[in-house]
Amino acid sequence: MPLSRLCAAGSLAILGISSLAYSQAPAKAATKASSAASPIPETTISINSSTPLAQRVVAYAIDAKYDPKTHTLDGAEVLTYHNLSGQPLDHFPFHLYLNAFQPKATWIREAKAMGTRDVEYDKWEDKRFGSEDIQSFEVVGFGDLTSKLEFIQADDDNKDDKTVVQVTLPKPIAPNDYVQFKIKFRDKFPETQARTGWKRDFVLGGQWFPKVGVWWHGAWNCHQFHATTEFFADFGVYDVKLTLPQDEVVGASGVRVNEVKNSDGTQTLTYHGDDIHDFAWTASPRYLVGEDTFQGSMGPVQLRIMMQPAHWSQEARHAQILKQTLDHFERWYGPYPYKTLTLVDPEPDSAAGGMEYPTFITGDTTWWMPDGLKLPEIVVEHEFGHQYWYGMVATNEFEEAWLDEGINSYTEVKILDSILGRDTSVMNLAGMTAGERELQRMQYTAFADFDPMARFAYKFANFNSYGGVTYGKTASVLLTLEKIIGEDTVQKAVHLYFMRYRFTHPTGEDFLKTIEEVSGKDLGWYFKQAVYGTQVLDYEVRSFNSVPTNWYEKNAKEKKGETVYDSTVMIHRKGDFLFPVDVEVKFDNDEKVREQWDGQDRWIKFHYNQRAKVKSVEIDPDHQIHLDRDNFNNSRTQEPHSKPARKLENYWIFLSQCFSQFLAWWAI
Amino acid sequence: MTNNKNLLSAGLHIVNRHKRFIVWFWVLNLAIAWFGAIAFRQAITSTLDHSVLSGRLVHGFDVPVFIEMMSRPDTGSTEVPTKSSAHFGLVFFLVTLVFLPGVLENYTNEGRLSREEFFRACGRNLWRFIRASVLFAILAAVLSSVLFPAEEKLAKVAGNSTNELLTFYTEIACFAVIFLVMTCIRIAFDLGQIDAVFRDQRSVVRSVLRGFRFAFRNLLSLLSSYVVIAIIAALILFVGVCIWHLAVPPSSILGAFLVSQLVLILLLWTRFWQRAVGAAFYLRAMAVVPAGYVAPEPIAPTTAVPAPVSGPPTEVPPV
Repeated sequence: MPLSRLCAAGSLAILGISSLAYSQAPAKAATKASSAASPIPETTISINSSTPLAQRVVAYAIDAKYDPKTHTLDGAEVLTYHNLSGQPLDHFPFHLYLNAFQPKATWIREAKAMGTRDVEYDKWEDKRFGSEDIQSFEVVGFGDLTSKLEFIQADDDNKDDKTVVQVTLPKPIAPNDYVQFKIKFRDKFPETQARTGWKRDFVLGGQWFPKVGVWWHGAWNCHQFHATTEFFADFGVYDVKLTLPQDEVVGASGVRVNEVKNSDGTQTLTYHGDDIHDFAWTASPRYLVGEDTFQGSMGPVQLRIMMQPAHWSQEARHAQILKQTLDHFERWYGPYPYKTLTLVDPEPDSAAGGMEYPTFITGDTTWWMPDGLKLPEIVVEHEFGHQYWYGMVATNEFEEAWLDEGINSYTEVKILDSILGRDTSVMNLAGMTAGERELQRMQYTAFADFDPMARFAYKFANFNSYGGVTYGKTASVLLTLEKIIGEDTVQKAVHLYFMRYRFTHPTGEDFLKTIEEVSGKDLGWYFKQAVYGTQVLDYEVRSFNSVPTNWYEKNAKEKKGETVYDSTVMIHRKGDFLFPVDVEVKFDNDEKVREQWDGQDRWIKFHYNQRAKVKSVEIDPDHQIHLDRDNFNNSRTQEPHSKPARKLENYWIFLSQCFSQFLAWWAI
Repeated sequence: MTNNKNLLSAGLHIVNRHKRFIVWFWVLNLAIAWFGAIAFRQAITSTLDHSVLSGRLVHGFDVPVFIEMMSRPDTGSTEVPTKSSAHFGLVFFLVTLVFLPGVLENYTNEGRLSREEFFRACGRNLWRFIRASVLFAILAAVLSSVLFPAEEKLAKVAGNSTNELLTFYTEIACFAVIFLVMTCIRIAFDLGQIDAVFRDQRSVVRSVLRGFRFAFRNLLSLLSSYVVIAIIAALILFVGVCIWHLAVPPSSILGAFLVSQLVLILLLWTRFWQRAVGAAFYLRAMAVVPAGYVAPEPIAPTTAVPAPVSGPPTEVPPV
């Protein structure tokens, strides 16, 4: 981002920050009535809008100093909270996410038992340790309440888990009143886990500050940090001052509004974010930064692409997919209102790739990534999608992960299909192809009957089931929904859902009702099975045959085009998911017949009396049912066609010969 | 360099003079692999032969379709076909062990051995070759237990660097060193086996030691010859796979078969070439053995004169 622009924005921001800046004033001076706390600022510095877009509940002003040698951060946070609960609040829970990275914490226990997507915990290593210690906790009007803090473990009663801390105030905060918390804390970042921490000289500061829970549906919603869960927070304003060495190249959520070189060799960078619900940052001395602009419907979006030096040649590739994705989201789902988007290519092997924070995402690539492998494109598209499904439509990721990861997987399939091709959106390399929609489906089919989509993320059977159902099944459910209500209708519904619920915390019910509203159909029968159930969809062509009607005649000879056949086709519903299907029957005179079956019974037979034999039968000939667990049994041909098997056999023989030649010639 | 060139061309001359061995070994290689693939064929045909979906594997290679096929219960575990092919791979290993002495006997003779002589050489040397293989396995295991952990450690250290490519370069360098060390050992054993065959040496250890002596006295020349041939083999594989990918239509089973088998024949040819280089070198070395050396009774082929050495041993060689 050009510096002149930053400075102009900075002067505005400083005005906002000054009222929130952490004060070292003695407790006595601060013990005024809570109503004296500053209200939430109405700034619009980081958005392309002249008015706030969200109902702002929180304002965070954080002054943080990071020491890259010890991977520690000392922070002073001033949190202003607006009580919009409609009732007096006397206790406030806070997330201390970094405490998850301790051997007895719930996160590590679950990760050890179930596995995670990138870190193994065969043995505990000290570098994995992370912590977030509150050193002092003051509430304006009530003084120092550090001693009143207590860790709570509402989810699993694990007394060793310190990821949620609660404070009870001496007096409740009245409805519509403000309360201000002044918190001093010290972070010890772990070596990267769960998209936060350090690796070599890189650091990703995610979930790094004490963060208040969400008052939602009449209660506090502040879950412990689990191995399969992500986050949930209120919208607000963030003003963050980061002090770190001058050689560090820094990227962060929001816009950079000020930059000061300090005499001790450090720099202090100030960032401001409006209408966001989290703040993340990264630093490394080795980032190479590319800048670009996307002209969005609400105004220009500055794209900042921070690449590893060995990946610099892929900067254009990242910029291109980012812009293409932005373009599709704007056209299909709604406007991107923020002025910035920072895309970070994190340190290799850092378990920091593929993560989303407001206006800040991490990609994932390697130095050798061929053009035909679309991993960088997939990750960038997916993480950008989270700006919509999580960033703006801020659903509860602890309880309804399918609403962010799942809907995002669906839009990922749609957009990558459009940009990279339906069958080549994952791979188009050396004659091999793979499409995103099929991989999403396969991710689900391996764990089809373990968990429903609508299950709390930390209650899934295991990590793979969580991933398969939350990502893969949701995408497949929505793709299959296109068959019922049409592709355009689903797109309209998702668009309406975004426009209606952006900057709020909708639920799954809100999403499903929006679909029913747009389609004008009662889809309860489908959602009950697909969203709330674990029914498995599997139809098969059980059998078919064609018998000459004159089979009993002696010396009867079959003549093509003349002999009349009684043909029977049997379709079987193997699974317990009821779904209407189309069946295409082809005859050997090239005639085709399309049948429809509601799938209510366990099987159905179709009978024909024609001058042709049945040549093949195919269920779902248009390939619209993405929930079907087994695609191979969806069709059957009368005559075997051995070419596919012979082709694979040839590969197999070639590899076997290579192996045996190598063995023989090397070892003798 | 000239010496090296001569060695390569001498080896090439030998291997081209006995092309039939390559053909025979290729036939065996293919037949054995074909038998090994029966389990795989049976596993996939039930899934593929009557499904419309399998067409997506013919006109391209749809990876999700392939994965779905492999993960179906009907296809079964990949363990059975993999084991089957591995076992048949061992059969080819044993076949090579049996017939290689006959090949080397031919390589060290000017003429062509009769079938009887060929099999006699095979039988006479089988036990020696088995012992040589065991010795090689022990030595390779010892070296591997040192070299691979060292490679791992170096790669780990390099992994701490902020230079992302350092790990890659370190691994490449380590694997190059491991390849060279193993090739040296392989050269020594190749020469030992030739010695066992040529001198009818019963003591395998003595032959192998002799192989090591020869190898290390002429390491540069032998190693460079072997490495050049190995590079040619790598190029053949690379170019062959490229042709397979670019020139053969995805649906052409015959085209793919022909190209893949041509690649495999050429790979066999390169390894025979290495063996022939060893034989050529050995024959040259034997041409200048020490004065006190008593040549063993050569195996007298009935159809050809034994390979003549270039002159009577008269002086201590600068080998």
